[in-house]
Amino acid sequence: MDELELLKKDWKRSDNQYKSFSDSDIYKMSHKKSSTIVKTLFYISVAELVFWVLINFLPYVLSEKMKAQLEEMSHSWIYVSLNIISYLVIILFVYLLWRAHKAISVTDNAKKLMESILKTRKIIKYYVLYNLSIALISIPISLYFSINEHPEISEQLSNATTEKLVIMSLVAIGITIAFLGLVWLFYKLIYGILIRRLNRNYQELKKLEI
Amino acid sequence: MNKELEHSFVEQLQKHQNIVHKVCRLYTNNADAHNDLFQEITIQLWRAYPKFRGDSKFSTWMYRVGLNTAITLYRKSKRRINTQDFDAVQFKIKAEEYDDTEEQQLKLLYQAVHQLNDIEKALVFLYLEDKDYREISATLGITEVNARVKMNRVKKKLKTILNP
Repeated sequence: MDELELLKKDWKRSDNQYKSFSDSDIYKMSHKKSSTIVKTLFYISVAELVFWVLINFLPYVLSEKMKAQLEEMSHSWIYVSLNIISYLVIILFVYLLWRAHKAISVTDNAKKLMESILKTRKIIKYYVLYNLSIALISIPISLYFSINEHPEISEQLSNATTEKLVIMSLVAIGITIAFLGLVWLFYKLIYGILIRRLNRNYQELKKLEI
Repeated sequence: MNKELEHSFVEQLQKHQNIVHKVCRLYTNNADAHNDLFQEITIQLWRAYPKFRGDSKFSTWMYRVGLNTAITLYRKSKRRINTQDFDAVQFKIKAEEYDDTEEQQLKLLYQAVHQLNDIEKALVFLYLEDKDYREISATLGITEVNARVKMNRVKKKLKTILNP
């Protein structure tokens, strides 16, 4: 006999061997706290959003000097428009995330459900990439400006040869890239571990299409 | 949420709870894990229930939510501890119903099924529940042809596991 047919025969016979939960058991269970990948991803997305907003805000709150500087800059239209754009980007990401989370439905077919979950992850991935790119541009620029404001260092630098300046700039850019690269790797690692099973199952379904 | 809705949910799930038990049986291998997954599926069913319109049977709807939870949503909880082997405890095969060789064969079969991956288990589960390829393909989101191809591969894989 076919193995699966034998299994099916037993499977049907096993119907009365399961522990039967009562109505009150089921009632209690349905109100317990859930622990799913969607929930975890949601918390992580919120944490990412808060983290990057805080990174932008903290200097303003923590340092008086910075606050004064920023207040001075607030008259410049470049600063104001950059600020508006960055807030618009955050609002856009929050909206995209909210929409993606709403689209996750446990009653979709398995493949569609996996796709919806992976989509929320992709949105937050783009958000992190966006912030890293901003950091990549702004760290060297702010470094340049703060050196300029420092009379001692800028005097020393004005005496340096062009060759030395180029090397120093390259080192500064290199360190920035290495640092941001590490942040990116760390981020990839966390998500990699978190959605390993989901990815594996999705690939298994996807593989069939080829 | 309103009491009436809750009452009808609990009543229907109580009646069809074996579907959830069977999903848990394939995807877990001890009593604690079984109950943990059962609870998570119950939570997901209850959350999705207000949108259940009754255009499919309650049981059909349960298959989908149950499998989706087991394959995709469920995260093993930390409070879970490994205890005894589940099949040996709750599914003690009754000696009078089987002869020795069949009992032995079934034990090996269940062990083999547990070695399959999540998607393969889903196919076996739906097959054991007498679902046709149309329903299997709709539940997993693959075409009927692919469901057939995959099922044949699963059968072959089971044979290889049983007769290495």
